[in-house]
Amino acid sequence: MSARNNSPSSRHTYLVCYDISNDRRLRKVFKICKDHGTHLQFSVFECDLNPRELVQLQRTLKEVIKHDEDQVLFVSLGPSEGRGDRVISALGLPYSRFDAPCYVV
Amino acid sequence: MNASYYRTARALHQHPAALWDLEYLYEPLPIPEDHPELDLFGFQRASHPHNAPTAVLSTREPHLTKSAANDSLPARQLNEYIYCPRLFYYEHVEGIFLDNADTERGSAIHQKIDRGRGALPKAQNPDAAPNPTPSADNTPTPPESAAPPETETIHSRSAMMSSERLGVVAKMDLIEVQMALIPQSTHNWQPQSTANLTKKTTKKALPNTDQPDLFAAPPTDSTSPDITDTAVPQPQLLHVKLHQHKVQQVTPVDYKVGSPRIGPEANELWDADKMQLGLQILVLRDNGYHCNEGVIYYRATKQRVKLQMTPEVETWIIQNIAEARRTAASPTMPPPLINSPKCVRCSLAPVCLPDETRLLATNARLPENPPSPTRIPLPPRRLIAARDDERALYLNTQGCRVGIKSERLTIKDGDTTLDEIRLSDVTHVSLFGNIQLTTQAIQELCEQEIPIAYFSMGGWFYGLKNVHTRIRQFAIASNPVQCLALARKIVQAKIRNHRTMLMRLHIDPPSTAIRGMKEIAGRVPDARGLDELLGMEGAAAALYFQNLSGMIKIGQNDPDDDIPGLDISTALQKKLRTEKETFTFDFNQRRRRPPTDPVNALLSLAYSLLAKDCTIASLAVGFDPYIGFYHQPRHGRPALALDLMEEFRPLIAESAVLTAINNRMITPGHFVRAGDAVNLTPIGRKAFFQAYEQRMNTLITHPIFDYKVSYRRVLELQARLLARWLTGEIPDYIPMVTR
Repeated sequence: MSARNNSPSSRHTYLVCYDISNDRRLRKVFKICKDHGTHLQFSVFECDLNPRELVQLQRTLKEVIKHDEDQVLFVSLGPSEGRGDRVISALGLPYSRFDAPCYVV
Repeated sequence: MNASYYRTARALHQHPAALWDLEYLYEPLPIPEDHPELDLFGFQRASHPHNAPTAVLSTREPHLTKSAANDSLPARQLNEYIYCPRLFYYEHVEGIFLDNADTERGSAIHQKIDRGRGALPKAQNPDAAPNPTPSADNTPTPPESAAPPETETIHSRSAMMSSERLGVVAKMDLIEVQMALIPQSTHNWQPQSTANLTKKTTKKALPNTDQPDLFAAPPTDSTSPDITDTAVPQPQLLHVKLHQHKVQQVTPVDYKVGSPRIGPEANELWDADKMQLGLQILVLRDNGYHCNEGVIYYRATKQRVKLQMTPEVETWIIQNIAEARRTAASPTMPPPLINSPKCVRCSLAPVCLPDETRLLATNARLPENPPSPTRIPLPPRRLIAARDDERALYLNTQGCRVGIKSERLTIKDGDTTLDEIRLSDVTHVSLFGNIQLTTQAIQELCEQEIPIAYFSMGGWFYGLKNVHTRIRQFAIASNPVQCLALARKIVQAKIRNHRTMLMRLHIDPPSTAIRGMKEIAGRVPDARGLDELLGMEGAAAALYFQNLSGMIKIGQNDPDDDIPGLDISTALQKKLRTEKETFTFDFNQRRRRPPTDPVNALLSLAYSLLAKDCTIASLAVGFDPYIGFYHQPRHGRPALALDLMEEFRPLIAESAVLTAINNRMITPGHFVRAGDAVNLTPIGRKAFFQAYEQRMNTLITHPIFDYKVSYRRVLELQARLLARWLTGEIPDYIPMVTR
């Protein structure tokens, strides 16, 4: 059985960091990332993605960035479920992860 | 710089020059009837490469309806038929398509390929062939000149063709066309216009250098001394003018994301790919091309694997087309594959439930029989995710407005943004009371198939699809014998679950009530009618609710402790404390409409949340939630959802209520009284939504399938099993009973 099916949840957490040399493209990349994850810092997003969403995000970004000038890094932090705040810790301003079972507004 | 300088190639087409034969380049391909949006003429795009639309071609084949079983079958769907007939049935007949990472990768590749314009040289040039009688397997007439002609390979991408003989439409990723070049000198060539032509076409040809479609092959030679004096690199389009072209042979090339099968001698095509490529070859032949072999390019290993068309392959293909048509016309779905490795990566596995269906179809056992490893050699693999990655969105703030911005829902109160929530994180949206949802947001939610549930407003909406399930649902719902059979199972499961709950959670399990419930559950299978069944259900429920208070472990005299995890202001805390005196969690009997005490208020809310989730589950499977088997139809009552819900009342709703009370997630301060009715405050509601969703997300070991899933998944599984029972794939509906 594949690893995907053994994990309790199929989403993994990724740290998505980018370096974009052009302001226009930067804004586009920012907007795309905002649709897929939480904005942590300048140029750093925390995205919970399943394999399909990862491909989707990469595909969208691929079409925007200039491949010989820009760079987007994907750092996999492992399965989102149960990872909690253990992998990321913060100095200074607090880092907190949304962990409620549902959204109530 | 005159106007003619900018004349586009399209203009040339409208006024074809008499001097050379460009016609084959512009020959429009037939536009398939089911793809009226496809502009296969394509020439406008080629002449304006910078304006080339990026997503002209849809990445998916259209879903054909069942009535279209005799229409053309797309080759891609016949590929799927070979892969798994059940997959073919789901996609072709029922129109269900799910994406996973593999299909997403595949469509990413095809997005690039599909930018091709699908232009292809004509099979035979009528001028060159004196007897143009192309039959199915006609080879083009050999060139008239004695010397072997020079050849050139051009590429055409994304060409769509059909064959009436086979009843198949094939879209070819790439066709390599081998052209024979016959020097123009053998034809009528008028040199006086050369200079003019060269200049014009040179400029016109420039955009084509970044449009590799049709003329990707480098110029083979300098066969024509007339034009060697041009300064720019020799534009390929010039060949068109200086040579008579004839198609010698074509080779379809198909792109696949995966890797080839490793055969005993060499790499082989997978059968499904062989089907699709073989069809492409046959379709090309039926359109008059000379075609003997095709190639599949496997992207994972970057290898080309060839297929030679032989009579055996052709017979195999034609047999399979006939079988696929029979399958498509049949009202019953093909059975799932048995323990196939294909299922693991199949995007439709969560809908198809291959292992679960196989287990219940071949080895129907009731939950009370303990699972014995010898009887089930192959335990079902869990091919579904244990739980949803997404969360429910409850909108509870009166007067807020929900809009959409890119892929995010924006929730605003006046001008202040309360929250932004990504659509990819939302399973469904529940609105309580007066909350505005913009049309744009509703449309996007519908587009992404995210259900919207209105509370205290009435009304649901969602697209319904699975026709066969609903036809069976209506048929069985009008058959009292089968309704009663299902109702007995549902009621029995509910009583059993209630009994288990009392035994597990009661401080001092009441033996008389437990014995009484067991006795009633034992009599349920003998119930002769729905009325008698209702009586039994009522008697058991009375026993249960008499003892419910024994499961509430918070008394009036508990010390006044603070509420962990609830961030509320001190003023509010003070207010809560003063009101606390008025409410207790005493429970005597079930009262509704209106609930008159806190426990009843919580139970009512929990049941209506559960009814919502059962409705969503039955809609997701393709049922009509308003037509039930045990609950009889009434205006506005989701009867089927209530049927589904019975066995889950104790497991989800009551359990969430007890947990919320016992863990002090809900305190007496969370209630308000209005007349007789007791209601939750907004903060109390918020806390209870969390408690309820926590219960829904709890992972449990499934009593039949022995793998871990969340309650939300179990709801959907039960709805799918109910559908399987309706269509006769499994002999009995097996309700969810905890061990």
